[in-house]
Amino acid sequence: MTKIFNRNITDALLFFVALAVIWEVSIAVFDIKSYILPSLGDIAVAFWQSWDVLMQNSVITLGEVLLGFVSAVILGVAISLLIYFIPVAKRTLYPFMIALQSIPKIGLAPIIVVWFGYGLSSKVIMAFLFAFFPIVIATLGGLAGIPAHLEEHFRALRSSTWNTFWRLRVPSALPSFIDGCKVAMPLAVIGAIVGEFVGSNDGLGNLILMATGSSQTALTFAALAAVTTLSLVLFYIIELMGRLVWWRSN
Amino acid sequence: MAVELVQAEKHSPMKQSRENAISVNNISKYFGGFDGVIALEDVSFDIADSEFVSIIGPSGCGKSTMLRLLAGLIPYEKGDITMLGQHVDGGMDGVGMVFQTDNLLPWLDVCANLKLGADIAGVTVSAAAMAEMIETLGLVGFEKNFPHELSGGMRHRVAIGQALICNPQVLLMDEPFGALDALTRDRLNMELLRIWQAEKKTVVLITHSISEAVLLSDRVLVLSDRPGKLVAKVEINLPRPREPSATREDRLFGDYVVKLSQLMGVN
Repeated sequence: MTKIFNRNITDALLFFVALAVIWEVSIAVFDIKSYILPSLGDIAVAFWQSWDVLMQNSVITLGEVLLGFVSAVILGVAISLLIYFIPVAKRTLYPFMIALQSIPKIGLAPIIVVWFGYGLSSKVIMAFLFAFFPIVIATLGGLAGIPAHLEEHFRALRSSTWNTFWRLRVPSALPSFIDGCKVAMPLAVIGAIVGEFVGSNDGLGNLILMATGSSQTALTFAALAAVTTLSLVLFYIIELMGRLVWWRSN
Repeated sequence: MAVELVQAEKHSPMKQSRENAISVNNISKYFGGFDGVIALEDVSFDIADSEFVSIIGPSGCGKSTMLRLLAGLIPYEKGDITMLGQHVDGGMDGVGMVFQTDNLLPWLDVCANLKLGADIAGVTVSAAAMAEMIETLGLVGFEKNFPHELSGGMRHRVAIGQALICNPQVLLMDEPFGALDALTRDRLNMELLRIWQAEKKTVVLITHSISEAVLLSDRVLVLSDRPGKLVAKVEINLPRPREPSATREDRLFGDYVVKLSQLMGVN
């Protein structure tokens, strides 16, 4: 097992090194200007020199993403439970949600910024909008996927609604819910960045716009690297949480 | 050989020295209303306290439906069921149910799965009782294992243990060994007989295996093909304690199997 794992890592590393070599060689051979495509060295230097700026803006974007994601989880789970347990909610809320989901959320960004301003709240709402639907769909899927024979078993055990909820429905739906979170987290990052693109004074999205606008392409790439790292770390945290719910009820 | 063929008539509960644990009177079950599919038609029988009764019949004859009616899991349109002196309407205290699928929760280990029914009922299981149950089920050393780490036979033993640990007076079993290989099945059959003899529970077993029914039961009820009607009640007068190979060698055993096959319409 360990051996295969090491092999995976070494192969991946070798591949990345090969890509980096191609990148560097291409710049030299085709004489590409650094404002079009900076060398990896330039990006590293930009990363080092702009460390403080990158960190400041990362913290801002991280705050937007987390607030948006957490509110998407809270509201998403609440709405899912309403739709699951209350037939009227299923007939009204569910079609409404599907309709809302069909709106391209990027198209909403300008009006969200008009309504909620250049500050934190419009970005949190964008992150929320991107993360919300996958969480609802996954949570509902998890609840709907509870095997009928287990539900009958709980009825035979004369379990109360409360007991069935905590002992059967919650653990059954958790793996699917976590899957939804895995989809939603990178989407929340995209939502926050889109919000920052449309109207903001700070954040990594803002930094990308500013750097590109002033031909500091190396800084653009450094900011992109920061966004990517942020997204990966957040995804990995969800992945770790997912290992706590290793079971799949079938 | 005591074979009571059932004629369509008003059922009058048996007069027995033993008390009836279950009394089923003229039960009919329709799926999809009165003009829907008739699953069971005018079924009546009594089961005495601590009697071991099997219900057999061709697949689709409504034997699982019969058990779900006894367990109060589905409503009935006509007739009346009394269990442990109470009219059956929804689930009952003192009744344990074992399903065809083992129904273990994948996120709970063996001990937690065994305790599930008790936990839901709000009954505490002492450590001693748990250890005894683990011992009885032959699961020593597997207390902390999860269902996916167990064999099919072990999983079924946990499922049976889950019903037994609440110490029910009546045990309802819906083909609990259907999915197991012959050897494991024999072993679990003997385990079941041992527990039944030790604790004198009333057992109703649904099975499609005629020989399993003969091997285990005091009495076998035969249901006909759809709509399910009770065709015969056959008393199995084989000596106890029973044991798979010896009992099967008994000439009477073969006679019972042949008789029941004929009643079921198997040739």
